[in-house]
Amino acid sequence: MTERKVGVYICHCGGNISDYVDVHKVRDVVESEDGVAIAKTTMFACSDAGQQEMIDDIKEQKLDGLVVASCSPKLHLLTFRGVAKRANLNPYQYVQVDIREQDSWAHREDHEGATEKAIRLVRAGIAKVRQSQPLKPTEVETVKKALIVGGGIAGLRAALVLADMGIYVYLIEREEKVGGWASKFSVMYPHDKSGKELIGELLSEVAKRGSKITIFTNAELLKKGGYLGNFDITVGIGGDTNEAETINLKVGAVIVATGFDTYKPKQGEFGYGLKGVVTLPEFKAMVEASDGKLEYDGQQVKNVTYIYCVGSRQKADVENANTYCSRYCCNAAIHTSTLVSKVDPTVHQFHLYRDIRTYGKYETLYEETQKMGSVFLKFDEDEPPVVDSSDGTLRVRVKDLLTDREEIEIDPDLVVLVTGMVPRENAGLTNALKIPLGRDRFYNEIHPKLRPVETVIDGVYIAGAAQGPKNSSESVASALAAASKAAGLVMKGYTELQPLVAYVDPDKCEWCGLCAEACPYEAIEKSTDEQRGKEIATVTGMLCKGCGGCVPVCPTDAIQVKDYEDHTIMDAIDALLEEV
Amino acid sequence: MTVGNKENEEFAPSILVFSTDSISDPGIDLAGSSHLAYPSTVSVISLPCSSGIKPKWILHAIEKGFDGVFIAADGTDCPFLPDCTTRTAKIADTAQSLLKEKGYDPQRVKMGAICSVCAEPFANHMRNFFNALQKIGPAKKGGGKDGI
Amino acid sequence: MEYDVLVIGGGIAGMESAINLGEAGYKVLLVEKEPSIGGKMILLSKVFPTLDCASCISTPKMAETAHHPNITTMTYSEVMEVKRNGSGFNAKILKKPKYVNESACTGCQDCERACPVNVKYDEFNFDLVGRKAVFIPFPQAIPKVAVIDIDNCILCGACERACPASAIDFTQVPEEIEVNVRSVIVATGFKLFPAERKPQYGFGKFKNVINAMQMDRLLAPTRPFNTVLRPSDGKEAENIAYVLCTGSRDRTVGNPLCSQICCMYSIKQAQLILGALPLADVTLYYMDIRAFGKGYEEFYKQTRDMGVQFIKGRVAKIEERENGNLILRYEDIENGGRVQETEHDLVVLSVGLLPTPEITSIFKEEKLELDDYYYVKQVDEDLSPARTSIEGVFVAGTAYGPKDIPDTILSAGAASSEATAYMETTRRQK
Repeated sequence: MTERKVGVYICHCGGNISDYVDVHKVRDVVESEDGVAIAKTTMFACSDAGQQEMIDDIKEQKLDGLVVASCSPKLHLLTFRGVAKRANLNPYQYVQVDIREQDSWAHREDHEGATEKAIRLVRAGIAKVRQSQPLKPTEVETVKKALIVGGGIAGLRAALVLADMGIYVYLIEREEKVGGWASKFSVMYPHDKSGKELIGELLSEVAKRGSKITIFTNAELLKKGGYLGNFDITVGIGGDTNEAETINLKVGAVIVATGFDTYKPKQGEFGYGLKGVVTLPEFKAMVEASDGKLEYDGQQVKNVTYIYCVGSRQKADVENANTYCSRYCCNAAIHTSTLVSKVDPTVHQFHLYRDIRTYGKYETLYEETQKMGSVFLKFDEDEPPVVDSSDGTLRVRVKDLLTDREEIEIDPDLVVLVTGMVPRENAGLTNALKIPLGRDRFYNEIHPKLRPVETVIDGVYIAGAAQGPKNSSESVASALAAASKAAGLVMKGYTELQPLVAYVDPDKCEWCGLCAEACPYEAIEKSTDEQRGKEIATVTGMLCKGCGGCVPVCPTDAIQVKDYEDHTIMDAIDALLEEV
Repeated sequence: MTVGNKENEEFAPSILVFSTDSISDPGIDLAGSSHLAYPSTVSVISLPCSSGIKPKWILHAIEKGFDGVFIAADGTDCPFLPDCTTRTAKIADTAQSLLKEKGYDPQRVKMGAICSVCAEPFANHMRNFFNALQKIGPAKKGGGKDGI
Repeated sequence: MEYDVLVIGGGIAGMESAINLGEAGYKVLLVEKEPSIGGKMILLSKVFPTLDCASCISTPKMAETAHHPNITTMTYSEVMEVKRNGSGFNAKILKKPKYVNESACTGCQDCERACPVNVKYDEFNFDLVGRKAVFIPFPQAIPKVAVIDIDNCILCGACERACPASAIDFTQVPEEIEVNVRSVIVATGFKLFPAERKPQYGFGKFKNVINAMQMDRLLAPTRPFNTVLRPSDGKEAENIAYVLCTGSRDRTVGNPLCSQICCMYSIKQAQLILGALPLADVTLYYMDIRAFGKGYEEFYKQTRDMGVQFIKGRVAKIEERENGNLILRYEDIENGGRVQETEHDLVVLSVGLLPTPEITSIFKEEKLELDDYYYVKQVDEDLSPARTSIEGVFVAGTAYGPKDIPDTILSAGAASSEATAYMETTRRQK
């Protein structure tokens, strides 16, 4: 016999339930269940009158458990948790039983069966509530400071916006100077803005924020300790990490904005290594430096031939293949070609491509360069262009799909390999933060559609091209988005965590590590139980999502999730099976 | 019972479904709101994620009298674990071996991916599983054709 | 009433901005003109490139928005006017009558079944099927509350009699609500290109020419017919064509922009069709395949390997045969540019995105500027992508240009970030 005092309310839902389920019979049967102090039917449990009746009963009868058998918990779980709260009952001592969507509506032709099922379901609900404990969301204090790793355009922009929100920022940059790739460009698409100027603008704004933003250069993240909202970060400053001076920072959130590298073609790949064959970033620098005319090796350039998708969209059988599309390169190459036409409109430009991906508004760049005279030839990925200079002349041969696969020969002054983006070498950082990499070896978000800046590690966000190829304005948008998530965590100075998390029974646990392996959230660690003199698993409740993935792997039944314990589930099963 | 195999009308197998709060449970709800009928001997227990089901709960359910257990898995839509399908399949496998050891027909455990709008697939799964279990017979006290 | 931020539009951009701000502790009012939040995404079947069920990943976001303690949601409501008021804004909102008491309705749909009026068009199924004059917008609607389409209602009272909760209320009248806010986020989304504007494709005239949003409904698990049927005779389609860039990259219809999502959603649908109709042939007529996002190229490659045909060529004209089949005339660009004709039994027009410039009219005194293509203008795309021509008003999602779902989420995060920084800096200056 339990000492619990449970109130049970069975809703008619104005006939939606009671037309198929004999709600009075359900009440009569469950009334005598162990622990039930009061059992009633109600026309509309969710109505104001229905809610008030429950509140009065809970208070008057000093109930310590509430079961409402009505519609799906997706509709009214929070309504009735609210009822419990208003009656000073812990909301986790309330169980909703779905006898509408999962009973009366599904068994409309079987009233007897539906009624029997309702009895079983309500009994299971009562069994569950009997096991329930008062639980509270854990409130964790969060440090109103953020760490940004990487001082490119994404990192700097995130730093500024966080400082403006009133969040103190540390920014660490591996290189000697902040600014990243953008600071190397003078003209960027689509607005012909100078990357150098944009970075300059950001840096002068950073300076205005004074002590709110602290930048460390030549600095690398060595270690992350602590937990969500309270990370302890060790940063090594200056030169080789072994000799580095280390500092410790306490921050609430971390944003990783470590950017990308450009693809470096292999020797001989599309003639790379031959005189006159350059990559897009190299060419871009030449165009930007040109003073009225385009020259290479002292000669005027009259013919430029671009080969697209170098180091991107590679076939899977290429060694370390980059099978992904690098997103920015079509736009960047086409934009560069418009710059060339502006420097010298007489330069012939041939673009050998697979698909032109000037998505969205960038399409207008594609139109513009065609108007300026650029010629586009499409090649088949199985028959890529061939570059050679065996007879002393740089020559490109390509079969053009647009003219019936006719082989075309071009003798350009320059071949520009439109190279893509590759992930940055960051093994140390990846290791310290434990952010997973995707198949493309960029940092992986927790969900590619709706959670593109969050990672499986709570409180650690990714921004910019570190997550995947992006141009500068897209990197800025993602940096701001990451900042918004970081702000959600640290702005209020605390965060609430749901209490239904895993926990370990130290008597049963004989540390084997299987649970820790099963948890992608790094929520389980080995610890020493001094009292019992053994090593056991410990769950960091703050990191646990309560999914229960660790539960079935435990060989000794030592790990459980609150509210879903063995006895809770098995009691519910038994209750469902009891004779009606 | 009005649903199921006419010949075995006297035996209505009971089915326990393990569903998940955010993915398969809404799909099962939708079956009801769309008024799709399935046997009333189907009952659902909802958990956060299908990778958290213990094989021994399944064994317990069969030993105590359920004729079949259906795992309504999150599949690739799982909000927690990218490898949820593999994990859940492993749980179903383990449960099947446990049943086998105890002399039950392993086909009393079934798994299917049910997404939040998979109302039809759920109702179909239930009707088919119900019919299959009618053929196997009751689980309780060796009433079925288990072990044959 | 006072709120920190007014978010206009309850699609994924609006919801994401609202949640971010709510989490940071701000009071948000989210106003949606449709009777449910969720926008376009909740109506989709699955999403590329993960083939996640759209409902599975968007309903939790809808629920989070609707139940967040810092977010107030108003559906079936329109922002009529936004005016500067001191350091913030004053907004007038029109709450349209649903003729249903929202707190009493239990979403049981008894009214829907009782209603004798069959309305030919169901906007949430893109007019593939009809609906009643009183209806729940779609199964996952939040709030799950019925609404009466008063223009089609014959005031017979059948719903009133059928409603067990006495929730039907014909006495409701439009209500105007005034609020003061510190900042505004415009997340009004996009419109689909109306395919009638390409008369040579016969949309609206040839029954078996449908648009891609209709195909997405046909493929959704909550789909109207439970398989992919062609409208003329209800036959399962066997040979389906996609016409990409319908209404995009096309100056003849006034839209030179690429819509950014049509290649990928067409590829996704092709994969889903192969699942639903294993024997069907699917051909995509395209200009360039723009699989540029994370995981997209790999998804495109997989689709080619599954046997979907890709033909580079712009379709010039579609003609209808007596049996309802369609003849496509196109230039076969990769094979010498010859003009070819092929026959298909169902044609899907991969329609593009168009802006929603009407939103500018609600801003009084100060002008919300548009760009050359009538999207909300970004005044500093490079460093502050969410900033608009009005200080304190920010923009999120496809309101400022075509975007896929991840980019929409990023832009919504940018908007909430910039709005937060704006509110904090103006507060400190005061």
